[in-house]
Amino acid sequence: MNSQARIGLVTTMLMFVAGIWLFLAPFIMEYQRVGEDWIDATRNDMWTGSVLMAISALAFFLFTAFALRDAAARADERRREEEDSQKSG
Amino acid sequence: MIKYLFGTVGALGGMLAGAWLMLAPFALAYQPSGAAWTEPTYTDFWSGLAILVISLMGLTMYVLDLLGELRHRGIIERREEPETQEGQAIGTRAVGGTQAGSAADVEQILLPLVNAMLEDMQDQRRRREANGASQGSADPNQELDPERRVQQ
Repeated sequence: MNSQARIGLVTTMLMFVAGIWLFLAPFIMEYQRVGEDWIDATRNDMWTGSVLMAISALAFFLFTAFALRDAAARADERRREEEDSQKSG
Repeated sequence: MIKYLFGTVGALGGMLAGAWLMLAPFALAYQPSGAAWTEPTYTDFWSGLAILVISLMGLTMYVLDLLGELRHRGIIERREEPETQEGQAIGTRAVGGTQAGSAADVEQILLPLVNAMLEDMQDQRRRREANGASQGSADPNQELDPERRVQQ
């Protein structure tokens, strides 16, 4: 995996952290009191945060899974080439 | 290669979420227009801006990576710069080759001329030697100049 893909993965992780922040922000910033009915801003933050977390987690999971699959395929191909060269040599 | 598409779509979703967060206080009207910004508006706006910037960075990285992979596989053409440089090098070589070729052409053109001049010079030398030998045997004034010989 090259550096650009790593930076991309880091930004995806930061998006996930931002989603967690959106969940907690109404209570940390104290515009939503615990136990009271949620105001519109809190509802919006919760929904947006959950969507952001879901998107980033899914992107991270799928990217990592397919990167691993590609790496495994490359390793398998390299191993076959080495075996072929040993047979021919 | 499909992994980059997942990353790109995820980053694009993050960008949309960030943009929505920046607009939401006004769209959902929990920020009265014209009034000073409330605490939720500040939080949502700056959080949205940060998410938008981070997602844009991620999107750029994923797209650059995807383009690199497509170039590596030969699906899209490689960048023109190396080819242009190579083309320039070939052009330089071609110019050098042309210069070498033109020099050879000039040499080919001048060669018969130089040969003719050499033949003339050899003829003249032979004539002088022949004249000198004949005059040396008959004429005692063999060392005189031809002009003086003419005057005599």
